[in-house]
Amino acid sequence: MIRFLVRRLGHGLVVLLLVSTVTFAIMMAAPGGPSLLADPKLSTAERAAIEERLGLDKPGSVQYVRWLSRAVRGDFGSSFLYQTSSLATIGTRLPPTLLLAGTALLLTIGIGIPLGMAAAARPRSLLDRLVTTTSGVALAVPVFWSGLMLILVFAVWARVLPAGGAVTEGESLGVIDRVRHLLLPALVLASAGCAEVIRYTRSAARTTLALPFMQNARARGLSARRILWRHGLRHALLSVVSVIGLQLPRLVGGAAITETVFSWPGMGRLGVEAALGRDYPLVMAVTLIVSAGVVVASIIADVIQMVMDPRLRHA
Amino acid sequence: MRRCAPWLGVSLCLLAACTREPVRVDNTLRLPLINDPIFNPLLAPDIGSVMVNKVLFPGLVRPDEALRPLPDLALSWAMAADGLSWTFVLRPGVTWHDGAPFSARDVKFTFDQAIDLTSGSRLRSDFAAVAGVDIVDSLTVRFRLKAPFAPLLTLLGYNAGILPEHLLTGTKLTDAVAFNRTSPIGTGPFRIERVAPGASITMARYAGYYGATPGVERIVFKVVPDVNAQVAQLRAGELDLITIEPANLGSVQNAPGVRVLQVPVVQHWYVGFNASTPMFASPVVRRALGYAINRQAIVTGVLKGYGDLPGGTIPVALRDYFDSAAAPIPFAPDSTRRLLASAGWNPGPDGTLRNAKGDAFEFELLVDKGNPTREQSALAVQQDLARVGVKVSIRTLEFAALVRDRVLPATYAAMMIWWTTPPDPDQFSFYSTGQDNNHVKYSNRSADSLLQAGRETADPSQRRKIYDAFQRLEREDPPVLVLFYPREIQAVGSRLQGVPKLGIRDALRHSEKFRFAR
Repeated sequence: MIRFLVRRLGHGLVVLLLVSTVTFAIMMAAPGGPSLLADPKLSTAERAAIEERLGLDKPGSVQYVRWLSRAVRGDFGSSFLYQTSSLATIGTRLPPTLLLAGTALLLTIGIGIPLGMAAAARPRSLLDRLVTTTSGVALAVPVFWSGLMLILVFAVWARVLPAGGAVTEGESLGVIDRVRHLLLPALVLASAGCAEVIRYTRSAARTTLALPFMQNARARGLSARRILWRHGLRHALLSVVSVIGLQLPRLVGGAAITETVFSWPGMGRLGVEAALGRDYPLVMAVTLIVSAGVVVASIIADVIQMVMDPRLRHA
Repeated sequence: MRRCAPWLGVSLCLLAACTREPVRVDNTLRLPLINDPIFNPLLAPDIGSVMVNKVLFPGLVRPDEALRPLPDLALSWAMAADGLSWTFVLRPGVTWHDGAPFSARDVKFTFDQAIDLTSGSRLRSDFAAVAGVDIVDSLTVRFRLKAPFAPLLTLLGYNAGILPEHLLTGTKLTDAVAFNRTSPIGTGPFRIERVAPGASITMARYAGYYGATPGVERIVFKVVPDVNAQVAQLRAGELDLITIEPANLGSVQNAPGVRVLQVPVVQHWYVGFNASTPMFASPVVRRALGYAINRQAIVTGVLKGYGDLPGGTIPVALRDYFDSAAAPIPFAPDSTRRLLASAGWNPGPDGTLRNAKGDAFEFELLVDKGNPTREQSALAVQQDLARVGVKVSIRTLEFAALVRDRVLPATYAAMMIWWTTPPDPDQFSFYSTGQDNNHVKYSNRSADSLLQAGRETADPSQRRKIYDAFQRLEREDPPVLVLFYPREIQAVGSRLQGVPKLGIRDALRHSEKFRFAR
């Protein structure tokens, strides 16, 4: 187990190094360059002074080596747009994203797995069709559209929930206020992943239910509920866990759009802003932190799978 | 029942969370920003920072509704007879939000930094004519100029908020991170109360403000980057004033509790031709193309009426200088054909204009991605020019790529772009020969001398004559093909009152005047 972890972490570091090189190269190759320098009103002298101050007058390879040598010491440089440390900027924006994505992940698991199992238990029943159709729609509808529709319905017409933000600004209204703000964005962010988990769970459970050991359980006279939720679920989850592990990149990517629509002060939006503004230090820092998160999540998913599946543990 | 219990519980909690939104009765003005601001008017040219800094950091003067300078931190001023120095008498008794007194030292510090190339200042070109600022006494400063510079007063009321010397002296402005990001100190009617990164800036009335007591108790700037989300929040009562594009009008017109206002702003939107290319070097060609555009159709169709027809590059918002006696540039495609024929462009067999060598009159028009008004205007230009036999292909680029890869190196033929300028007719840096911002490579000796005279002449009636002459000259040799002067469209919650009839940025120089109806 320890050897497995060490090896996976080593792989992870190599992945991160590759990600940083590729990201930097793509960023330098992207047209336009830092938006800071794109102001048509700048004079030639002013533009040159800015380039010098930010180190942009050097060739890309020099910039990358300089960045890397600082990054390994934990210094990710100062954001062009925010004019302060990239890490500090991310530090203020990460918690809201963790809250949003964490809630969405809980919703994904909490809704996706039970519904998928229930649909698998009675194939072609009304419930099954309803769940399958709804999850198909949820997968197909773009987030910015469903988000705006929910805002229109709940905030503009019914006026029961706030239209955006993470808290009511200028007032401190406590936990209920936070929950009210969290509800719609978490739902929107969870919807696509939830639909995916439902479909995976359903098909995994259907496959499981057809296996000989399930017939054996039935022959032993176990109740249908016990067969499905205890023996069936545990076996079906093995493949679902890896799908859940793959939700993280989607949650981060989806968070960028969800956060924009709901004015959520998170890191997804920050990443988009940084990319659009070609804020090199901030883009690099956001990319690396997200990549590290993905690496860690996939390791965790593997560990969970090993714990759950005796065959892997002893292999 | 047992199985339902947890779900019932969850549903009840959700219902409880969904209590009806209370109708807001607090005295807080809520405005949107599209990005996190940097609290330093010298460092940050982005729209979010500009808006917040106009509230926090008053300048020596501020514009009235006719865009003429009114006293703000300066009570009075006088220009020396040679035009080479201006003396400002400052307002006594002004204090910074930390209680320290405001004085001439702050003014000197601010402009020393503003004109320093290494300070990170983005106001350097605005004040390039300033040689230095001298302290005469604690409440009097003198600006020394390299050459007479009439726009000085306007620029002092534009983005040049005054910074506190006692907090910022000794460090590089860009290194004052705590000041710039979380705890700025200004002299304005509202002081910073709380900054939530990525989310909001809360400001509260400053009891020591030198002007009238502000009409609202708090201003909350909320970071709402998406304009559709801004509209939704306005309609939900969570924002009080937003500015929108004509494309968004449908979602606010007839919405309950929302008024739509319009204000002419100091902008001209244009098609810029690269005059250093043979195709566009001739004034006759540029003038001819101008007659081919049905601007009224663009103002009606694209701007939904929220724009004005142009005569030249000085917009109607500058009412003291806009030449209102002259009619707008006419829509006369026949004149286009005649003038282009005189310049050697005649219709070929396929209807496209060709010159003596047989080259077709075709070029690429660049437009930045994502702004519906500019994209639709570019299409209209393409169609109008096709009717006179000029073939235009449109290419959309990200704004930064358009500017840095094509406009700055002048490797473009034509671009759809705009200038937002201070409320002054000075366009020396845009249209004088060889200036850094003259991206269209316009060069006209008479225009050069008029623009030079315009920025050096302080007397308003003399100045008016100079810019009248410049606008007449533009009719013959247009530097750019001006399309229209847009109006800013403000969607305002119906309770909000006292908003000056100015673009939102200038209006925020009067933040103490905003108030809510009882």
